[in-house]
Amino acid sequence: MNIVACYKCVPEEEEIEIKGNQTLDLSKAQWKVGQYDLNAVEAGMQIYEEVGGTVSVLTAGDAVVDNSKLRKSILSRGPEQMYAVKDEALNVADSYATAQALKSAINKIDNVDLVLCGEGSGDIYSQQVGSVLGSMLGWACVNSVGKINAANGNLIVERSIESGMEVLEISLPAVVCVTSDINIPRIPAMKDILGAGKKNATVWSLSELNTEIKNGSDTISILAPEQTERLQTIYEGDSDENIDEIYKQLRKLNLF
Amino acid sequence: MSQLKKVLVVAENESAILELTAGAAFLGEHTELIYAGNQDMAWNAEIAYYAGDLQDASFLSYTSAILSVVNETQPSLIMTEATKNGRHLAAAIATAFNSSVLTDALEISVEENAVVSTRMVYGGAAAKKEKSLGGIAVTCVGAGVFEAKQIKKTKNISPLNMGESKIRLLERRGKAVKTVNLSAAKCVVGVGRGFGSAENVDIAKRFAEALGGEVGCSRPVGEEEKWLPKETYLGISGVMIKPDVYIACGISGQVQHMTGVNQAKTIIAINKDKGAPIFEKCDYGIVGDLKKILPALTDKIKG
Repeated sequence: MNIVACYKCVPEEEEIEIKGNQTLDLSKAQWKVGQYDLNAVEAGMQIYEEVGGTVSVLTAGDAVVDNSKLRKSILSRGPEQMYAVKDEALNVADSYATAQALKSAINKIDNVDLVLCGEGSGDIYSQQVGSVLGSMLGWACVNSVGKINAANGNLIVERSIESGMEVLEISLPAVVCVTSDINIPRIPAMKDILGAGKKNATVWSLSELNTEIKNGSDTISILAPEQTERLQTIYEGDSDENIDEIYKQLRKLNLF
Repeated sequence: MSQLKKVLVVAENESAILELTAGAAFLGEHTELIYAGNQDMAWNAEIAYYAGDLQDASFLSYTSAILSVVNETQPSLIMTEATKNGRHLAAAIATAFNSSVLTDALEISVEENAVVSTRMVYGGAAAKKEKSLGGIAVTCVGAGVFEAKQIKKTKNISPLNMGESKIRLLERRGKAVKTVNLSAAKCVVGVGRGFGSAENVDIAKRFAEALGGEVGCSRPVGEEEKWLPKETYLGISGVMIKPDVYIACGISGQVQHMTGVNQAKTIIAINKDKGAPIFEKCDYGIVGDLKKILPALTDKIKG
């Protein structure tokens, strides 16, 4: 089975700074592979180890997709090949535009049977790209998959949704979005990290893929909300008197 | 605020049907509904399309049928639930109309004929305001954004036939997971790493129960320690709360978390670390051992 696992390079959110005018400063944030995407890569590796075939990874973004640390990080998890769509326009791509770029790359890669996506990106977390990509390709597509069985040439998946679990049979080719509970991604060993540098990486521009992308939504603003002023009445120590002070405040709220 | 011509709601839970159709009536002139589950749940729509009880099929298998309804009725806005099914169906509909889904909407308005929504991004650090550009606006809406209303029972109900699907349901298993509606809760108890173990979280559950509140948690508790379901972690994917009181227990007060709870009227903090940032962001705080403080408060409340 030829598997492509998709991933997104995202900023380390704890390193995002909030400026005085409530705008965000991402310039000091390190970049990393989205944490939920590692589950997609691991799911791909497990299918490969069971039924054979190939596992590649694919990303779309601006210059960051070429970052050698991120490339080694993703390839050290087992996939044999990295593909990337690199274009400045992808810096502001929404889920619709991102899926357009991924779709054109998947059409360029030969004989893809299964595309795996994570639950959502680590930064925006709309949980959309996989479902949009499946619709664009016209393939079978499901989200929220917690188990995949690919042993018999088709796919039987367990989909965990709010109302319980659905066991579904889906035809190939398919796009499957996995949950963050499907597996625990393997930790690469030193030899995997060293070996990752020797693996093949193919980077395309949008024009090399003969494709243009267009957003389906427009960002008006991204602002940190203003924090409400708080009283900051602090009782030091868990004495009975102090606990009673907190109890009195709770009682004032008429909850009980 | 300008009004939309027609709003289509796609939902399968009664509370969501009542909320979204009431919201649709506010945003648009006409409301239609596509729904599944109990046939008796159609409210507030002029016309409803019923996909059945989903015993033998996944709601996702109705994608092409839903697209036919959308093509025929041409709504200006489609609203789905912010559930796994709602997100996926929204994606399929939006893609067919060259649009992106405005996901996890906390606020929806119509400005100069464009649908505008606000949502949290970067794990709760910021609010993103965005506008739909496609032919049809599609949004999935968090629980509690609109107030549930029973305005008028829908009488005009037609069956929605499944049509072709590449997905076949073999079996349904397990029960519904209890979904907590944190966004509608009057009182939320927040569990942080300060609890030390999964067993200790019971102290918070008993405390919340005594208060008639719900339990939420910080990102490390929901995502790394997994002491509580990930869906209850405050600060991402629509879990923004606006309770009368938020009681942060064993939570340091990291910025993403505080953004998610910023709209609480009163914030009370319990933490053993006097230097924790939470004490600068709360109304009342107590420095001490939550394993002593919470049971003592629980006993006092129960009288």
